[in-house]
Amino acid sequence: MIPFEADGAGVMARLTTGEAAVLADLAAQLIHLLDERAAESPADVLYAQLGIGGGTETPLDPALARLLPDAYRGDSEAASEHRHLTERGLVDRKVANARVVIESLAAKPVRLDAAGIQSWLRTLTDLRLTIAARLQIEEDGDAGTGDERMLDLYDWLGYLQGTLVEAIDA
Amino acid sequence: MTQTLDLPDTDLSTRESPDVPWITIVWNDPVNLMTYVSYVFRSYFGHSREEAERLMLLVHNEGRAVVASGGREEMERHVEAMHDFGLWATLAKEDS
Repeated sequence: MIPFEADGAGVMARLTTGEAAVLADLAAQLIHLLDERAAESPADVLYAQLGIGGGTETPLDPALARLLPDAYRGDSEAASEHRHLTERGLVDRKVANARVVIESLAAKPVRLDAAGIQSWLRTLTDLRLTIAARLQIEEDGDAGTGDERMLDLYDWLGYLQGTLVEAIDA
Repeated sequence: MTQTLDLPDTDLSTRESPDVPWITIVWNDPVNLMTYVSYVFRSYFGHSREEAERLMLLVHNEGRAVVASGGREEMERHVEAMHDFGLWATLAKEDS
């Protein structure tokens, strides 16, 4: 069964209760991961309200390093400065998207408007990037090392992502 | 064919002179779906389907593609937007 179907200007998602619970749990874990990063580098309150501020170093966790990549290659000073100015905002937007996903999963069937679709596309991507880092999928063709369940989750999220893009691209 | 004139650069925060071009580079990764990358290029940059596919295949086959060029601030915004989408992007001076 195709999980996503165009529904007027939006999309309707058919997920089982179990699938919705798994996705909500993964999104909550993503929020936790991002929150921990934000907590590492507490920003000035005013700056935080403006979405400015954040770490100056590339995260050590490969998943966070991929979610929050350096904006400059081979120029660590520029990368650090840019990260300090923008990372907080990027984290906040990723967390907000994951929250939208969790909230939308409370309804059955799940209906997504244009903004909801954007949150889903981004969060599905962030989840896949995170799991790929855990599975050490680093180059095209990497099969991934890890337990089967995580590989299954990775493939399932890819399927969701692919069918969602198809549904809005028709 | 109608030509449009570029507006003068009045952004006081521009850190580089406007004649030093910067580029936004999107790098290949093993995670993002080709259809998604193509969708991002179309929806964010407003590319045609053909141009988006061309850039996506460049990323996929060559490992990277230059998807935009212009002022530094503008390229920083593009890179941030790509990171929002989960694409791996960086900016650099055009000659680097």
